[in-house]
Amino acid sequence: MTFSTMLRTMSSGMLRTLLLFILTLAGSIPLGMIVVFLKKSKIRPISWLTKIYIAIMRGTPLMLQLLVWYFGPYYVLGMKITSGYKFIALLIGFIMNYAAYFAEIYRSGIESMPVGQYEAAEILGYSRIRTFFKIILPQVVKRILPAVTNEVITLVKDTSLASALAYQEVFSLAKQISASQTSFLPFVVAGVFYFVANYVVAIVMGRIEKSMQYYK
Amino acid sequence: MKKFLAVLLSALCLATLLAGCNKKETTENTSVQAVSSEEEKFVFKHGFDLDYPPYSYINDDGEVGGFDVELCQAVCEYYGWEYQAVPFNWDAKDAELNAGNCDCIWSGFTRNGREDDYTWSISYSDNTQMIMVADDSDIKTLADLTGKVVGVQTATSAYELLQDEEGQKKLCDTFASLEVFDTYTVAFSSLKAGGIDAIAIDVTSGNFLMSETPGYHFLEETLGSEQYAIGFRKGDTELCEKINAALKALVEDGTYAEIGAKYPEIEPFLCLKPEE
Repeated sequence: MTFSTMLRTMSSGMLRTLLLFILTLAGSIPLGMIVVFLKKSKIRPISWLTKIYIAIMRGTPLMLQLLVWYFGPYYVLGMKITSGYKFIALLIGFIMNYAAYFAEIYRSGIESMPVGQYEAAEILGYSRIRTFFKIILPQVVKRILPAVTNEVITLVKDTSLASALAYQEVFSLAKQISASQTSFLPFVVAGVFYFVANYVVAIVMGRIEKSMQYYK
Repeated sequence: MKKFLAVLLSALCLATLLAGCNKKETTENTSVQAVSSEEEKFVFKHGFDLDYPPYSYINDDGEVGGFDVELCQAVCEYYGWEYQAVPFNWDAKDAELNAGNCDCIWSGFTRNGREDDYTWSISYSDNTQMIMVADDSDIKTLADLTGKVVGVQTATSAYELLQDEEGQKKLCDTFASLEVFDTYTVAFSSLKAGGIDAIAIDVTSGNFLMSETPGYHFLEETLGSEQYAIGFRKGDTELCEKINAALKALVEDGTYAEIGAKYPEIEPFLCLKPEE
């Protein structure tokens, strides 16, 4: 295999990695917000259930969760799955897992807001919903950005776990090519791909952070 | 009180750390001595994939087992060597071998197509690549695989055969897709669940999977055949010759056949026979 063929094959894997990455972010960032509302819900059973959900998502390996989402319908419900289900299972697995982490990051931001701001908003006649969206949320976003960046970068690398379901992302391709060519080079190439992707993520997140510093 | 506890704890940590260092030093010393006081006991490092039943796997007792493991242990016993199991990730086998973490790759390892990459022992087992499908599948021949999703384990000879222009690449191109799994175990679960339509697998591994779960069979047409042998670092002929001699001796005294009898999936494919 020539170096250019290797690069071409691995680039196609990188595209699959990025597809999984982008769709996971698009799903888990909003879902995390819903989860944090459910967890802070005044209705006890809802907040308990959410706590259990977060505990399971954080307490078990993501690879195991992926296998459960994929094989669950068959082993638990006795349903036959189709080959197209694999990508859906991957998305469900990644989004559910990352939503739990994002929810905890959001919570840390929301709970760091001083009570005085809520009190002041109430005196000014703001409704609770308006207080949250106009006063609290913009500050929360600013505070949690570094933690979110961390999580996003971790996600880029975690996509390699998709190989558990034979998803041909860049790292499983690296392993396969390395084995068939008895060469370590594919791993180096994969490393460079990941590094570049994360470098871009870091730059983009840095820009967003900067644009949020409107008081400085 | 809290401070005292903290000091105590950190002292403990430090002590264990230091103890760890000491231990390492002493073991290093002894290993040096062992070598200097004329090769006391040669440690033979058997490199294998722990997820490749029935050649090498975790057996029902929770220990390392399988045909290759037992045969290797018998070879070590024959020479009075110490046996050391080095389970590795199949993808990393070459790195492990070249780094010297193991002395050989002996794990249902196909010699065909890799002739020039290793120094090879004599072949001790034949094998055939087959297609496995469910009994109620509409796939009856290789031609029926057109447009189907086929699963395979990464870096196996079945996978390489399907990627080889001179092998079954043409057949592979007719598949809807070739799903490359980390292990055959997950591929088989996927076949059961309906995620894939067929598995390309060697006959012994396939028989092992099917022995646990009925309702699956091989297609009559085969993909190809292969020979299993032990791969040594290129140029390591001395060790290779020693293993060859031991294998021949074990064939003569019946140990080889005895171990084979424990593995009905492998027994029909054992190719070494005692000389008349």
